[in-house]
Amino acid sequence: MNVKMGVDIGGVTLKNPVMTASGTFGYGEEYADYLDIGRLGAIVVKGLSLSPREGNPPPRIIETASGMLNAVGLQNVGVEEFIDKKLPYLRTIGSVVVANIFGESVEDYVKVADTLSNAKGVDLIEVNISCPNVRKGGIAFGSDPVLAGEVTRAVKSASGLPVIVKLTPNVTDITKIARSVEAAGADAVSLINTLTGMSIDIEKRIPHLKNITGGLSGPAIKPVALRMVWETVNAVSIPVVGLGGIMNASDALEFLIAGARAVQVGTANFINPSIAVDIIDGIENYLSDRGIGDINDLIGTLRI
Amino acid sequence: MKPETCAKIFSQRETVKGHFLMIVKAPVSFREAIPGQFIMVRLEGGNSPFLSRPFSIYSIYSRGDDTFVEIFYKVVGKGTDAFSRLREGASLDILGPLGRGFDVPASCRKVALVAGGIGVAPLSFLAQRCGEDIPGTEVICYLGAGSSEALAGLDRLEKICSTVEISTDDGSRGYHGSVTGLLKRDMDLYADDDTRIYSCGPRPMLRGLQELLKGRPPGTCQVSLEERMACGIGACLGCVARIRSDGEKGGMVRVCKEGPVFDIDRVEFGE
Repeated sequence: MNVKMGVDIGGVTLKNPVMTASGTFGYGEEYADYLDIGRLGAIVVKGLSLSPREGNPPPRIIETASGMLNAVGLQNVGVEEFIDKKLPYLRTIGSVVVANIFGESVEDYVKVADTLSNAKGVDLIEVNISCPNVRKGGIAFGSDPVLAGEVTRAVKSASGLPVIVKLTPNVTDITKIARSVEAAGADAVSLINTLTGMSIDIEKRIPHLKNITGGLSGPAIKPVALRMVWETVNAVSIPVVGLGGIMNASDALEFLIAGARAVQVGTANFINPSIAVDIIDGIENYLSDRGIGDINDLIGTLRI
Repeated sequence: MKPETCAKIFSQRETVKGHFLMIVKAPVSFREAIPGQFIMVRLEGGNSPFLSRPFSIYSIYSRGDDTFVEIFYKVVGKGTDAFSRLREGASLDILGPLGRGFDVPASCRKVALVAGGIGVAPLSFLAQRCGEDIPGTEVICYLGAGSSEALAGLDRLEKICSTVEISTDDGSRGYHGSVTGLLKRDMDLYADDDTRIYSCGPRPMLRGLQELLKGRPPGTCQVSLEERMACGIGACLGCVARIRSDGEKGGMVRVCKEGPVFDIDRVEFGE
């Protein structure tokens, strides 16, 4: 049976609801050998800042129970080099391109968003107000409803592109932040970013990460992510993009049934670089097997 | 396309205490592997261990239509412990060969390998290929370990190298001291343009080697670095090392993609 897999995020049509999460898929080209990138609903590129950043010193990652901690610290080539060196390839792939951006000030966010809006080939902007691994910016904006709204409003007015705001789970009530960015004009929200965590080497009595703390990702966080997506879907009327520990089609389907309009696959790309297309196929088979002709007829159909 | 493949363990045995030789039946694409390249290995299914583990390639060989990859590793944590318990026929997900291997100029007449502990694995593969590809080249291996019982990979090196020099920290066999101390004794042998030095081992050893080789022309020595990795293909940015780019200030460079092999003079080992 022919299943309609397309979904709409902020007026942009994704050919299917599966995106690859920022920071787990490089700038796309890293995965060209491993899967047909043109099959993805969207690619979200590694977070971009105004100037290149070298990130945190190593060790940056450590495995934990059913997951991993990372403290990469937003290492990236900067928005100019992204446009010159990375975007030409992304223009050829035939998937929606989402540029993830972050800054240390509202002005930074605005400049990056403005630069990207004028570069042909970017379809959507995802605003990271939630990175736990950098001192300034990131989470400071994401944990305060007023600041989150301020950044959103500024990026929206600077950018001609639809804007997704990526939320942190490291807050008391994620729906407050979601409502605030919705009121400020966000076209969608994505959640969750990583949960702040820590791991210690008991022989040396030092943290496993040079940064001391890092962001927890992987299947360990999926139940938390799903709960927060469910709460947010009930709190806002803009589309919610769900992510956090999705390892297979069944995980992705849970988020869609909970009401996520699309999902992002993150850490799973590290385990199996072609997993995103397996997840697309798995979702399609699920719908086809149950005689559901359109993915939109499944989204948000949780029975309580 | 070189997607992740399911591979079966052909055999596995403990060689010296805590060191295992695993032979995996691999896709034919592995025949193109270059010494210094690595593969990502994961237990099929399950989340413990969760991430794939990087292993340098110890050897590749073919028998009939089948290709075999040898992995020689030391048990150091949860991942390697889990691998060491696997037996013949167990399934693994493997990805590779990955990364940049060693460069050996065809004009090279003398090769010194400086191996610390399990750092012997990629160097043994290199010695094997030097013997096959540039016959007549003298390959001398300096193999260091804590004690004589921990001299991993010695039997094979003795077969494929012109000479094997041994050092042990406790003096139980060969030179009493570090492997770089042993190399220092012989440095006059490696003064000419047609000699190259290759190394892999613990960071303090590599730092010592860098110190010893100060003043040598760039390109004299290459080292293979070890870092924790999540993806192995350049996406996670978890495995970076600080590398100088041609005389300029260092930057964070991916060990999995731009490495794991680097010119030793470009590596900033830090404190």
